[in-house]
Amino acid sequence: MITTITILIPLLGAILILLLPDEARLVRYAALGVSAMPLLLATYIYFAFGDNLDAAALSQDVTWIESLNVGYRVGLDGLGFGMFYLTALLTLIAVVASWDVGVNLKQYFAILFVAELGMLGVFAAQDLIMFYVFFEITLIPMYLLVGIWGDENRRQAAIRFFIYTFLGSTVMLAGFLAFGILAGSYSMEALNAGGGLSRTAQIAVAAPILFGLLIKVPAVPLHGWLLAVYVSSPTSTNVVLSGILPKLGTYGLIRIAIPLLPEGVEPFLPYLAILGVVNVLYGSFVAFLQPDLKALVAYSSIGTLGFILLGAASGNAVGLNGAVFQQVSHGLYSALLFILVGVIATRTGTRRISELGGLAARMPWAGGLLALGALAAMGLPGLAVFVSEFMSIMGGYEAFPVQGVLAALGIILSAMYLLYMLARVIFGPIERPAYEGVRDAGPVEMAAVVPLAVLLLVLGIFPALLVNVQQPAVEAVLSAIGGS
Amino acid sequence: MAVTGGTFLALLPELVATGFLIVVLMVGVFADRSMGLVASLAALGSLAVFGSVAVLLIIGFSGSFFGGGFVVDSFALYFKLIVAGSAFFAILAAARWSGYTGDAGEYLALILAVVLGSILLVSMRDLFGLFLAIELATIPSYAMVAFDRSRRESAEGGMKYLITGVIASSVLLYGIVLIYGVSGSAELADVARTFSADLTPVAVLGLVLLVSGFAFKVSAAPFHFWTPDAYQGAPTSAAAFLSVAPKAAFFAILLRVLLEGMPEAAPTWTAVMAFLAILSMFVGNLFALRQRNVRRMLAYSSVAHSGYILAAFAALQGQALQTAFEAILIYSAAYAVMNLGAFLVVDLVGEETKSFNGLIKTSPAVALSMLVFMASLVGIPPLSGFFGKLWIIIAGVQSGSLEVYVVVGAVVLNSVLSVPYYFGIVRNMLFEEPTGPVTAKDGSGALRFSVYALALATALFGLLIIPLSTLARTSGLL
Repeated sequence: MITTITILIPLLGAILILLLPDEARLVRYAALGVSAMPLLLATYIYFAFGDNLDAAALSQDVTWIESLNVGYRVGLDGLGFGMFYLTALLTLIAVVASWDVGVNLKQYFAILFVAELGMLGVFAAQDLIMFYVFFEITLIPMYLLVGIWGDENRRQAAIRFFIYTFLGSTVMLAGFLAFGILAGSYSMEALNAGGGLSRTAQIAVAAPILFGLLIKVPAVPLHGWLLAVYVSSPTSTNVVLSGILPKLGTYGLIRIAIPLLPEGVEPFLPYLAILGVVNVLYGSFVAFLQPDLKALVAYSSIGTLGFILLGAASGNAVGLNGAVFQQVSHGLYSALLFILVGVIATRTGTRRISELGGLAARMPWAGGLLALGALAAMGLPGLAVFVSEFMSIMGGYEAFPVQGVLAALGIILSAMYLLYMLARVIFGPIERPAYEGVRDAGPVEMAAVVPLAVLLLVLGIFPALLVNVQQPAVEAVLSAIGGS
Repeated sequence: MAVTGGTFLALLPELVATGFLIVVLMVGVFADRSMGLVASLAALGSLAVFGSVAVLLIIGFSGSFFGGGFVVDSFALYFKLIVAGSAFFAILAAARWSGYTGDAGEYLALILAVVLGSILLVSMRDLFGLFLAIELATIPSYAMVAFDRSRRESAEGGMKYLITGVIASSVLLYGIVLIYGVSGSAELADVARTFSADLTPVAVLGLVLLVSGFAFKVSAAPFHFWTPDAYQGAPTSAAAFLSVAPKAAFFAILLRVLLEGMPEAAPTWTAVMAFLAILSMFVGNLFALRQRNVRRMLAYSSVAHSGYILAAFAALQGQALQTAFEAILIYSAAYAVMNLGAFLVVDLVGEETKSFNGLIKTSPAVALSMLVFMASLVGIPPLSGFFGKLWIIIAGVQSGSLEVYVVVGAVVLNSVLSVPYYFGIVRNMLFEEPTGPVTAKDGSGALRFSVYALALATALFGLLIIPLSTLARTSGLL
């Protein structure tokens, strides 16, 4: 019940916001209040049920379409909880970071909250059809957020995003339906470990599901929609777009494809690991070449998503734990970087790396936090990303040594381009006289990034806070795939 | 099984429709100044039909009458509900249409006549009765399309529709006659006995002609070419109504003829359906992509949607029989709410894509409704169109036939293919600046009410689906 309430609050909030008078201050505070509620509830769930997410109080199973055996089935488990929590957190952060959304603020928040409903739902769904429905509910809100509030290329970017991901999700739906029909149920619980399907049937079903999920991530050859969307979006949309949306794909991989179709996914695992490595290396190489700070962060984000694929493909406890953890740490650091890029771009009026320089002198806080985010991204020990990347690589190396080594190489590459970026952007002499007068990040901007920085540190030092929650679920996945 | 002396009850919806048809026609003659009264009467008529069907459904009335030629079962009642419900909204939309020249009564009576023909049609179990009901449903619709005397396109559309419609009717009739010739009876039960698995060439010809006639009527490719002209020329309420209500009835009776009259010949007709489905989907969507006129676009979109429904017909085999059957029922209802809604928005806003520019600024509620309709036509959950596609894909996968897998693949591909043109409208509404001062015409309250009500029904179809799916599952043909 609590889970359902948490999922539905954003919808009620969206309606409430639309009914408010058109006054920016009021709307912002109301949006803040609305987005704080799921976060409070998720925090409550963490402390009350953190070691027992199976509790009946968290799950619900109501028959929806009887003739198809589809039910409204939601509940939480260790695989989804981290992202469930992060969704609530990043939506709040996105509300705080919405300073560059000037027009139609009410509509912006309402649409953002509808997207939040879908994202929370995905991480709580316990039924394939519900998963798909929530998955797709995010599509139109994200399309609108980019298409209405993005920059001058937004129309093209928005429709391209829509078509790519809709193609993926429709193919995925066909896979889900075939799976459900063959196994006689859409309940994830009933479908665990193949739901009685033969190996061949599992492979046939797994292929379309993987295709759909990998477009959403996006895994590298399928990433054609990504750059334009990331670059066109307003900062606060970027937070959700990079922090949560890719995880709809990776979470589907870890929660649905791998444990529900273990034999079907098995032949694809080596390729998945390769795709992970390709993401890591391609992301890092291309990030090197980006003249635009935001595009650099976007490619860095693609790169580090690769570790999730690698860890998920490993099929062992360390790798899976790393993959699940990396979903959260990736969300934290990429949101942090995107917000800071937004701050820098509004202050200096440019995102071109070549035109920036020496900002640390005038923006010590923003510069310092950008450095922190970049260090996190390159996997510096003591920060959350290190923990998860390290585990993913360990697990990946155990299963696929070559891919593991290559992925580790990716860390070095990412260190190179991130340090280069830091050197160009925040260190060195002040590039332009105009930057003499730029102000540091203000209290609102700090409020958006500091929680992320703190969490990166806390989870980096005490990874058990999250690992303990996800451990039982990871073990359940391992027993489903029959691994160690 | 029948309520004794229930013939009157069985015909209640038809009698109610006839009664209101006469009243509206007569009041229309004497009170052509008070359009409100005539329209209220017509709307009341459609509601009364809806109500009487609902009563029959609730009391569980069923039976067959007139020597078995007319049957009342929950299958027929289900489609009668769709027809009457669509008529209600079409009448509301037509209530304050400005194209009348003192003949509102006639136009509204024509709608009721189509209703009468359509609700009779879905109860027919006799091929000749069926033909008469089809004519009753289509002849008034020719007049409806040509009704707008202020626009030449209307007459042109009506003419094209009339000529192709008459040809279609003759093809259909020829098919019926051949089937009659083969089986010696026009009753579906007798036809079923002669239409065994291996068909004589004459029987195949009869079947193909029958299906082709229906393909004309439901605007399936390659028999669709009248559709864009007719829908573009017709008064918008006519296009809206004709694209959903009689079409649902045609699909229903086709389903009845195939399942009750020639179940043994399923391998033949599912193959024909698969062909028509794939062709309709691709033709509809590819041509819709090129349209600048929203009504033409929606016309091609309706060709594509006929293709989706025909895909369910193609899946009427093996394991999938029950689900495919349900898919046709669910899709018809889902399509009725979303497509009717989309056409009514066009009525309110205008037929050029650019008249939708910036609609979110000038009339946000209408723009939001249109967004719901467009997303639903694409098949985004949890909107109505999604449920239709859900059932179709499930049926296709269940069928276990390679040929149907290809059809399902085409459904999936076409859903994606349709995104650019539906969301072209969305882009204009939401991402562009308004071109004129006010883009949405003032319109009557009734029209706006219809749009909002249909948007709500489309958006909350996830709740409607609970009773609808139960109804579809228990509605007897199988």
